Amino acid sequence: MTHASEGQTVGAHGGENAVTSDLEGFGFSHMILEVGDLDRSEQWYRDVVGLDVLGRGLMAEERPHSVLRMNSGQLLVLMEVESPEPRRHNSQTIHHAFWLTPDQYRSAQERFSADGIDISDERASFRAKGEFSMDAWDPDNHHWQVQTQGPEATEIIKPGVGVVECGPSEQFAVGSVTPFGKGNFFLIRNDEGFLALSRWCRHRNGLLINQKEHWQFFCHFHGATYNYDGDHTSHLRGVGPLRMNPVAITPEGIVTVDTDVVLERQEDEPPRFTPAGVGARLDGGTHGQDRIDQP
Amino acid sequence: MAKIESISHSGINVVDLKEAEEFYASIFGGLIAHRINFNTDDAQSGRAVHSDIALNDWLFAMCLPRGELPMPPDEQLRGTNGFRHGFHITREAFGQLIGRLQRQEVPFEGPRAHPDNSPLGESVYFKDPGGNFLEVCWRRDVVRGGVALDAG
Ligand code: FES
Repeated sequence: MTHASEGQTVGAHGGENAVTSDLEGFGFSHMILEVGDLDRSEQWYRDVVGLDVLGRGLMAEERPHSVLRMNSGQLLVLMEVESPEPRRHNSQTIHHAFWLTPDQYRSAQERFSADGIDISDERASFRAKGEFSMDAWDPDNHHWQVQTQGPEATEIIKPGVGVVECGPSEQFAVGSVTPFGKGNFFLIRNDEGFLALSRWCRHRNGLLINQKEHWQFFCHFHGATYNYDGDHTSHLRGVGPLRMNPVAITPEGIVTVDTDVVLERQEDEPPRFTPAGVGARLDGGTHGQDRIDQP
Repeated sequence: MAKIESISHSGINVVDLKEAEEFYASIFGGLIAHRINFNTDDAQSGRAVHSDIALNDWLFAMCLPRGELPMPPDEQLRGTNGFRHGFHITREAFGQLIGRLQRQEVPFEGPRAHPDNSPLGESVYFKDPGGNFLEVCWRRDVVRGGVALDAG
């Protein structure tokens, strides 16, 4: 949903919104939530969660209800019923997620802690870099995930290992993909030469694995995939091609990858391979691919 | 100002992922669906096996239930099973959606008008094939495809 005042967009998982619906103006409007005690829940969502109360009886609903609003304009409608059912029978995975800015998240941690909510993230191992999440259960046991994303999610990561010697060039068969833990890159060898692709996912800096059986790189965190040229190929929107490190072949025929230099390219621009011949190198910035020299 | 930006997604349960993807695509007119963690290693490590359905600013993470999912009565088109999700479209597109529901023989209730002081104008109510209650409305406080913060 777009903020009319700021033109800012906060979408699903906090990412860029892709327009997928052909219905004009389509967006998430509101969630109606069953609660057992309207006063108690209104107070909890106002004071602990931090929503603005718009008022009561504002919807075409017979039951008593209270309407609360988020900054996006989305609404949460608390509707009083005799026995609220936070989860359908046999459904353990049901939850809803609030999206916060990093500052809002920090102050939410304080409010939640003061309310006795455990703000640790038991699924932290499943999060990509810069993704932060905590869980809260409301007075009727509705499960909320509370999420934000810090700058670490998209920052350029340099491993601090400098130039990595990968080995003699003839050691890498045409068609091979070799992961290097030191420096976190994949060395691709095809009939054009060598390419070093960063293993950090362009979505939220998850670490990619090579799915040999599918001829692609895969990110566990939200399912991004990339082909062996580094092109992004999954359903996610706004995700660029994998970053690269320059490859050179020494006069002795050793393949080296300079992990201190990070190259970026546009989606419509093919990656530049370093020819397999002795002494070959590609210099960042001279081939239309942006060299990123930030520390 | 509220201390929360938005609601970004919900994890819900459906009985048949393919049927659910087709339903949301045909009613809401295009979507991106992607199967997440459909491999043994990820499932065994405790990652949630699900289908992500992206609907503009919204995402449903659809999982299968552990056993039978109790269904609301066929004739009940409007309700909550713990919750109900409401989407907004423009007032012009509202008629288009109703036509679409009729053509696809999706039973619905409404349109129903909201009180004059409501941020919402009118709503229709229906269910997805997994028995999840849905609502689509046009909103009085929508301007240029977004929601005015000072309205309502
Ligand atoms: S971090 Fe989200 S898909 Fe890789």
